[in-house]
Amino acid sequence: MKGIRKYASLFVTTLALVGLTFLAVPKAAAQQDGPPGGGDADDTFNPPPCDYNNQFYADNGIDVTQLVGRFGDNNGTTRLTGPPATGNQHNYVADSTCSVNDPNRRNFRILATTGGNSDDNNSPFTCASGNGGPNCVNQSFLEPETFEFISILAFVDNQNAFSSAYLRNVGLINGGLEGVQQNPGTGISIGQTSLGETPAQTLRGFAMQDIVSNFEAYAALKQTTPQGFALNPCSLAMIKQLQNPNATSVPMPCFPVNDTVVNGQPLSDVATPNLRQDWRFATNRNAMDGSDNNNPAAATVVNAPFGYFCDDLLGMWIITYFWVTAPPNDPHCGPIYQSIGAKNGFNTDGTPIVLTAFELNTELEAQGCGAEAKEDPMGSDGGAVWLICPGIPDPRAGGIAPDAFLDQVRNSNGIPQNLITTINFLSLQIFGVFPNELTQGQMKKVMQAANGS
Amino acid sequence: MPGPKKKRFSRRNFIKLAAGAAAVGPFFVFRPNAFASEMTLKVAKWAHFLPEFDDWFINVMAAEWGRQNKTKVTVDVIPVEEIHKRAFTEVTAGKGHDIFIFPWPPAEYHQHVIDHVGIYQTVAAKYGAIQQIAHRSTFNPNNKKYFAFADFWVPSPLHFFQDNWAQVGMPLGPVHYGGLLSGGTRLRDKLGIPCGLAFSPTLEGNVTLHSILYSHRALIFDSRGNLVFNKDVFAAKAVGYIQALCQDTGTPEQLTWGSGGSVGAMLGHKSSAAINAISLLRTAEKQNQDLARKLWIQPPLLGSSGMGVTALPHVTNCSVVWNFAQNQDGARQFLADLIDTSRTGYEKSLGVNFPIYPKTVPNLIVRLSQDPQANPPSKYTALKDALHWTPNLGVPGYATPEYMEIFNTFVVPKMVARAVKGESAEDAATAGAAEMQRIVDKWKQAS
Repeated sequence: MKGIRKYASLFVTTLALVGLTFLAVPKAAAQQDGPPGGGDADDTFNPPPCDYNNQFYADNGIDVTQLVGRFGDNNGTTRLTGPPATGNQHNYVADSTCSVNDPNRRNFRILATTGGNSDDNNSPFTCASGNGGPNCVNQSFLEPETFEFISILAFVDNQNAFSSAYLRNVGLINGGLEGVQQNPGTGISIGQTSLGETPAQTLRGFAMQDIVSNFEAYAALKQTTPQGFALNPCSLAMIKQLQNPNATSVPMPCFPVNDTVVNGQPLSDVATPNLRQDWRFATNRNAMDGSDNNNPAAATVVNAPFGYFCDDLLGMWIITYFWVTAPPNDPHCGPIYQSIGAKNGFNTDGTPIVLTAFELNTELEAQGCGAEAKEDPMGSDGGAVWLICPGIPDPRAGGIAPDAFLDQVRNSNGIPQNLITTINFLSLQIFGVFPNELTQGQMKKVMQAANGS
Repeated sequence: MPGPKKKRFSRRNFIKLAAGAAAVGPFFVFRPNAFASEMTLKVAKWAHFLPEFDDWFINVMAAEWGRQNKTKVTVDVIPVEEIHKRAFTEVTAGKGHDIFIFPWPPAEYHQHVIDHVGIYQTVAAKYGAIQQIAHRSTFNPNNKKYFAFADFWVPSPLHFFQDNWAQVGMPLGPVHYGGLLSGGTRLRDKLGIPCGLAFSPTLEGNVTLHSILYSHRALIFDSRGNLVFNKDVFAAKAVGYIQALCQDTGTPEQLTWGSGGSVGAMLGHKSSAAINAISLLRTAEKQNQDLARKLWIQPPLLGSSGMGVTALPHVTNCSVVWNFAQNQDGARQFLADLIDTSRTGYEKSLGVNFPIYPKTVPNLIVRLSQDPQANPPSKYTALKDALHWTPNLGVPGYATPEYMEIFNTFVVPKMVARAVKGESAEDAATAGAAEMQRIVDKWKQAS
């Protein structure tokens, strides 16, 4: 996703240079400040994230009545407070500009901005591979290729949320042009067998559920429980997927994978207080930036059939839960944990922070030191199977609003586990740019703000 | 490349020759059968799942080609389960058919076939480059030769009875392998209907099991061709998963079904899901429309450990010209000309055969979305991205002789049978790995 930011930057800059004399594009105006951006009103042309409206959910094959913990539901009370917000903080705010900026949105602007990592530097424009290029100039260590900012709008706990049939007429004109214009319109339809459609398939001929299967978000739940360090989830079906296919019971202690209710509010099993590390997003099987590099005839096939921003319009992910299967001091797995932790850092329970697919699949799972599973699509595990959590396409220039807050995993002392995410968030929020565009003075302000986080 | 077409003797040439002969006088001896003699081309092919395709192939396509090329074409149709044995017999004897058509990459016969690169080059001029699945299925990276020529492939989507799965809370199907196990368990407990994937030593069992292994990161070879099976925990875990799938959701017959066993069970509505070619759904459409309506297809199940959504091809149609073939030129020409008929072949196979050369069926996506037999007509759009989720046999490497011998000697179904019959998954995986190693060593010695 970072790559598109860079391309967007290049595009806007080029556009500004080419069309400066006759195009009054926002960035052109911003150029008057001179780089770096100054955080003025004219530097904020990206709208911050808002929830989608019901119609947009429905048009994309989602039954909103089946969503769990959707921001703004129940007259703006559902999950207004509580995790990820703390104290009196609010997760969202009513904002009438949402639907003005984007008619597919409803007027709840999301303040809770969740940080995560996209694995494996799979952006085609990555600098981490050492390919270099103009996009990598001035990149600092503060700007790794891997972070993402998402808005967790709602959870999907079972398959019933995917509509099998839907029909909406658009474009109907009855009596325009002084009563003489007529147009029957056309239908946005899903699974209309009378129209020859397959149940559950959207207009584009894909079932939403199948599209989402190409976008995996990895959740690491805390494994410390009151009964001790748990080596498996409290779900036999999940244990049987990879950890122990022949298991007949759930070994204890186990870590819960079901939603709970706290203070009358639903608390998802993947709410931030339940996580031991920030989210990971798989980018090795899809095109996060919308550039489908797929060329089946090429020597190297990039198996990227779907683009995140162009196919997965709701920003949905299927959740893959992963965990370690041995305690941190295990003689076989302990050294592996130490090796990964030495690179990435450690969670408060002593397990290593896992950032890449290689670390999870090859270093942990292949050695019998880690496992993963997905929850039952029918919802019998009681937790989230899917997430509606769109990534923010361009978090610069207003994409992170002044009243937004960063939702990230913290250590037991309250300090954010990943300070790079923190600094990037604050840089974007205060100045609308990534840290490599800050002046020394601006960077100082960001660091001061980070110290207060 | 000279082909039978160059041997054509036109009416105009005949008149010229006759006039010349008349000028030479009565001493010219005209051999009455000289121009009537026909070349022959002997073809052996696997029996397609839909007989109407073979009818067309034999009686229309091959017959017409024979007429146009003054060649007597004979086509022997061989049941899939006998293909391997018949090919081996021909190679051992050093005689048999000119063209032998396999439903998989016959890599183990690479020393007994011509280099097919010329056929690919001939076709490329008209239809462009081949797809990756064809290249990796027919190219030998060691000797840099194409040991076969691929013209179509058959995807392996998940088939499931929507009415059954809806009753256990999954109206849109099981989505991932975890869902297949948990939902399949509930389904058998509640309705008494087993899941019904094929685990037997058949083509469908092989494709199903190899797909499950791959989807669980239990690789047999790595991308460089090194045997890696059971070198980490994934192999035993995957075998354990299949063991659990069979025990919790299955039926004992899954291990012993003959060719088409899972199809029969599905058509009898006696199992709830199968990984198969869409010939299964096509047959249902012909036999029982109500059953076909309940039978849905979806892309493959989402795997674990970063493997994404994949399923191996049910068929990779690979033709070889033996190096002992009597009519090699005719065989080359026949295979090159075959591509001209890909579109008709797609239609005669009722959409089962996906073209290796996309240009031959340029409106494939439209056809999938407006299928006249399907109910609803867009049912097959689930396949429109099939090329993206179908790697070649042998993935992440090529279809090597070692891999294909493992495939054709059913090492994986036999390994799974051991596990299901009581051996631990670890022991079964160890035994399977040992057999694979034996095959690898054998090929190493032979090279």
